[in-house]
Amino acid sequence: MKSISLYVERDSFIHEVDPITKMIYILFALLIPIILPSFTISFLCLGISLLLLVMAKVIRKTVPVFSFVFLVLITVVIIQGLFKPENETVLFQMGPLAMYKEGLLYALTITLRVMNIVSSFMILVLTTKPSDLVEALVRKGMSPRIGYVIVSVFQIIPEMMSSMGTITDAQRARGMETEGNVIVRIKAFVPLLGPVILGSLINTKERAMALEVRGFNSRAPKTYLYEEKTYTHGRLVQSVMLLLVVGAIVWRIFA
Amino acid sequence: MKKIIVEGLKYKYPLSDTLALADLSFEVSEGEFIGIIGENSAGKSTLCQALVGLVPHFYKGAYGGKVFVDGLEVKSHSIAEIALKVGMVFQNPFTQVTGSKMSVYEEIAFGLENIGLPRLEIIERTNYVLNLLKIEKVKDHNPFDLSGGQMQRMAIASIIAMKPDILVLDEPTSQLDPAGSEEVFSAIQKLSKQGITVILAEHKMEKVARYCDRVLLLNNGKSVDFDSPEKVFSRKDLEDHGVVAPVYTRVCKALGVKMAASDYYPVTLEDAERALRGRME
Amino acid sequence: MIKVSNLSFSYKKGGPQVLSGVNLEFDKRSTAIIGQNGAGKTTFVKLLKGLLKPDEGEILVHHFDAKLKTAAEMARTIGLVFQNPNDQIFKRTVLEEVMFGPLNIKMGKHTAEKQAIKALKMVELEDKLEMNPHDLSLSEKKLLCIASVVAMDTDIIIFDEPTIAQDHHGKETIRYIIHALKEQNKLVMTIIHDMEFVAENFERTVVFNEGKVLLDGDTRFVFSQKDTLNKAKVEAPGITQLAEKLGIKNTILTVEELIRVSGTM
Repeated sequence: MKSISLYVERDSFIHEVDPITKMIYILFALLIPIILPSFTISFLCLGISLLLLVMAKVIRKTVPVFSFVFLVLITVVIIQGLFKPENETVLFQMGPLAMYKEGLLYALTITLRVMNIVSSFMILVLTTKPSDLVEALVRKGMSPRIGYVIVSVFQIIPEMMSSMGTITDAQRARGMETEGNVIVRIKAFVPLLGPVILGSLINTKERAMALEVRGFNSRAPKTYLYEEKTYTHGRLVQSVMLLLVVGAIVWRIFA
Repeated sequence: MKKIIVEGLKYKYPLSDTLALADLSFEVSEGEFIGIIGENSAGKSTLCQALVGLVPHFYKGAYGGKVFVDGLEVKSHSIAEIALKVGMVFQNPFTQVTGSKMSVYEEIAFGLENIGLPRLEIIERTNYVLNLLKIEKVKDHNPFDLSGGQMQRMAIASIIAMKPDILVLDEPTSQLDPAGSEEVFSAIQKLSKQGITVILAEHKMEKVARYCDRVLLLNNGKSVDFDSPEKVFSRKDLEDHGVVAPVYTRVCKALGVKMAASDYYPVTLEDAERALRGRME
Repeated sequence: MIKVSNLSFSYKKGGPQVLSGVNLEFDKRSTAIIGQNGAGKTTFVKLLKGLLKPDEGEILVHHFDAKLKTAAEMARTIGLVFQNPNDQIFKRTVLEEVMFGPLNIKMGKHTAEKQAIKALKMVELEDKLEMNPHDLSLSEKKLLCIASVVAMDTDIIIFDEPTIAQDHHGKETIRYIIHALKEQNKLVMTIIHDMEFVAENFERTVVFNEGKVLLDGDTRFVFSQKDTLNKAKVEAPGITQLAEKLGIKNTILTVEELIRVSGTM
């Protein structure tokens, strides 16, 4: 794999929305349930995010992520349901253990909040190329050097991983055992650490020199190979979200 | 005015006790193809880096003397400013790939975006160098998917696109196979023929003898000789300086066969053949 | 010593075959493996070493099937010196670094230390035992890696591009090491691009191209096959080409040979 980005290429409306709008959406999905803390609102937000993921035709790619999140959340549900201090009302009994309503409801709140964040994040990550995101930010004023660091991580990490393969081979070639029980595998880690870190440092230094001679630190204002991507409806969507947030705050204050 | 002027250049790396470059002085005219040879710690890489400003600006350290490239003094200009006059290609093809672009085309345009060229000019220059270095066929490939030879040609293209008049290469083929090596040398020769001043640090003496107008022999940071390949490789004390002559020269030296009407030994395959034929008939 | 039969391998199931139907037998003769990058040389050597397992075919080392052993077990018989010393060095002193291999293959501490010092003497680093390996120059680091493998006293030792970025003195040291190993009756193999070095030091040459063996035989014979070498995108050494141009009938491999031959003309 040449890049570790999660971007999935699809032909959808969501893919055509600009990255900045998607970043604002994450904030939006986070704020609304906080301003109006009710289960209905939380479910609504989650529903909207999931709908957007379906529209972006990437819903299947979210399954592994959601599965992992569910696993973690189940432990929360169990622990809160059984042991939360304010637990009073028993919902059902399982032998000596009792599941309490307060705990379960609290766990549900947490679950919804996490799911909201994860799904809105997924919309950004699955439908945006890292380079497009960074270019949008740099055009808005972020330093191009930071932009470079962010984008290069996606390709350089796979390179590091493959060099780790070479280092492992070099140590195996000297008799270091890598196949076997857990202890053996852990012991095999130590001879890898030094070379991997050193290798990365050396590569970073060489790369920094190569970047310097490509004008990386030039003080001239940066230009772009591609025309600025015109994203459909960016402004409109951002305005709608802003209105909704304001509306929510108003509702909260007066209701 | 000479393209490159080095006056009394001295340099010591920050954590070192000895001078990497010890009072170097020489001049290079526009369009010359210069080879830098010497054993491993002689100062070849350091000198290359002093021509583009990495020494002293990247490494810091103790710096003395003057280096002028195309009229610009290296000490008082940033690496980015010098990059418009002098380009540099390094040994390792991989670490010259920025890792921030997904295609060879964008990779080459990277440097041009940095120096703030208008879009049309970026496109024009990128197309030109892709063609010049014969890598148009891979322009949409991921930079990491190229062979070593192609990667180095991409590195050269990225540098040449910035239109420096001087190109410095530090052992650019040492990690390549013979075919890749040949590709890179042809490309460099083509650029030299177009008038670019080329400075090449190398161990492959046969290549140096074939392509270079003059050869700079370094030892312990000092200049031992700076002359035509024939003159430098004919020296009797080459091995004292940690260097061997091209194989053709070694044969002729052993047989005492010099080039016709010359005081020097042949340094290329063709010259050696001619001289030895004469001897054998 | 090594018998390779019908060896095939690809990195991805159903993907392009990096090696196909390779048949080779190695005896005591020092052997150079040449060919373009991507021809399969490194993959072949990794298969011999047990770092990769073949898809098809068999590798017998001293009559043992390499498929049945782990890489670490193979390390007792075959040593491989990798190209980049920074991919390997991790101990705090030169001596500890060189003792790592021998200790892994269960030589006692005393023996391991003796072997390590012997190996370090061979590469002329015996006065730097307590130094931090990273304080050595790149050339010295490469020699350190060679010592690390030599100390394991394997019957077979393979070098991956030992002469890259070496200056004249570095090459002479490597030449001396290879000679010393040959004297100890070990099988020395190398992957290499430096044809002059091959001609001067290796009795046998194998040419790989696109995953197959194109040529295999005495170095002298191999370098006379211009057309085949062309196909594999490699060239004979400069001295061989010069001798050919001068009309000398035999294939010349070294400067000394050419001098001797021309003396009789």
